[in-house]
Amino acid sequence: MKPLLEIAAVSVRRDALVLLDTLTMEVAPGSLHALVGQNGAGKSTLFAALLGFIDFDGSIRFHFRGNGRIGYVPQRFTVDRTLPLTVAEFLALQRRRWPVCLGLGAGAVKKSEELLAGVGLQGFSHRPLNALSGGELQRVLLANALDPLPELLLLDEPATGLDQASVARFEKILMEVDTTILMISHDLEQARRLADKITTLERSAAR
Amino acid sequence: MTAFYAWVATLAAHGRLPQPFQYAFFVRGLISVLLLAPLLGGMSHLVVARRLAFFSSALGQAALTGLTIGIVLGEPLNSAYAGIFGFCLVSALAMVYVKRRAALPPDTLIGVFLALTLGLGICLLVAVTKRFNIHQVEAVMFGSLLTVTDLDLLVLLIAGVLVGLALLWSYNALLLDSLDPALARASGVRTALVEYVFVVLLTAAIVVSLKIIGALLVEAMVVVPAASARNLARGTRSYLVISIVAALIAGVGGLFISSRFLVPTGGAVVLAMSALFFITLALATVRRALA
Repeated sequence: MKPLLEIAAVSVRRDALVLLDTLTMEVAPGSLHALVGQNGAGKSTLFAALLGFIDFDGSIRFHFRGNGRIGYVPQRFTVDRTLPLTVAEFLALQRRRWPVCLGLGAGAVKKSEELLAGVGLQGFSHRPLNALSGGELQRVLLANALDPLPELLLLDEPATGLDQASVARFEKILMEVDTTILMISHDLEQARRLADKITTLERSAAR
Repeated sequence: MTAFYAWVATLAAHGRLPQPFQYAFFVRGLISVLLLAPLLGGMSHLVVARRLAFFSSALGQAALTGLTIGIVLGEPLNSAYAGIFGFCLVSALAMVYVKRRAALPPDTLIGVFLALTLGLGICLLVAVTKRFNIHQVEAVMFGSLLTVTDLDLLVLLIAGVLVGLALLWSYNALLLDSLDPALARASGVRTALVEYVFVVLLTAAIVVSLKIIGALLVEAMVVVPAASARNLARGTRSYLVISIVAALIAGVGGLFISSRFLVPTGGAVVLAMSALFFITLALATVRRALA
């Protein structure tokens, strides 16, 4: 079966630094593929390349069959503590053309509730985003990434800093998601528990 | 417009309006404040969300250099729009371009550009003051009601409408990109385009505000309204509304203070704005204590 994602000899350099060194790998459709490796091995750099944020050598090819959408849950989403943004407004940012600063209609709030129900956060629409716990915020970000269902879901260390109960809840939701997932994890046990395949990235000797 | 100013002056003469309305320059100043407040107040919450306060300060200083370039190139002192807008736009785009490519922190790069434009401006200012009285240039630095013309009001109206529509059109993408550029990118937002478009809009808003607020103080009007609003707002709509209302109150209040005490308009407006910030801060503290 043709892979969903083909990465061939991808390298990323910044000046003399090699951030990612000739990585070749494939991600099978419908699989949960984990990327593990020590700090500085280039895991997040690979995600930046996949999202088109940085230049790279080599080739990255997506073989999408449907909407071609990539969902993304960042490693760190540091919400400005003073930014008055509700969960519903945040979720509407990507889904509505109508500027959220002019108010949300009933449809936008209903959609927000639907998305939040999928991650067990019913009734959170009007909560300030900056008042959520780390686990709640990660689930909001997951709800955001899962609508519309992406063909490829990129998770950048989604469980970092979460307590055990939050990690378990997050993993349970993840196992129910019916799409291809590429997940960075520092936790080898978690990777073994969840992933169909694990790729280990080595830190480049040329750094 | 002359007939309108005459009608307003008649109302003021009959005691139906406060005395300053007798003067056309005051009415023009009030109209410009009423146009500026929604523009700068509305823009301010995105400036703060995108952490562009220092960037705005650098743009204000670049405006002074742009003015001197315009004058050197033959533009009239009172409406050197091409020089100011041209130089501010080049500076803004250059700052963003370098920032996107350099590894240095953004505030360091902006500091470099600020030093560069200010140095250039001061050198050119010496040349300009051989042809003009330095006090005429002061009006651009600190803002002055006396220099506002009907043409300025027209420029402000057109720029305000265009910038406002462009901001509303791109608002969700702008805010998402402010929160997390990678997340915005994954959602299909063209993050580089969004960043460049926003600085062009900010440049336009700052340039048309200079006459009334002044180059050195315009940064305050694109930062302090949002800072005040953050003390009280609970969602993006109230954030926007409070930012605009704060800018309106400070603008109109500052205008009356300026005409009453004969102080520069920009300074008076910014003082009123700062006072509002501390009032909202006190209200927020009281609200937290009662909660």
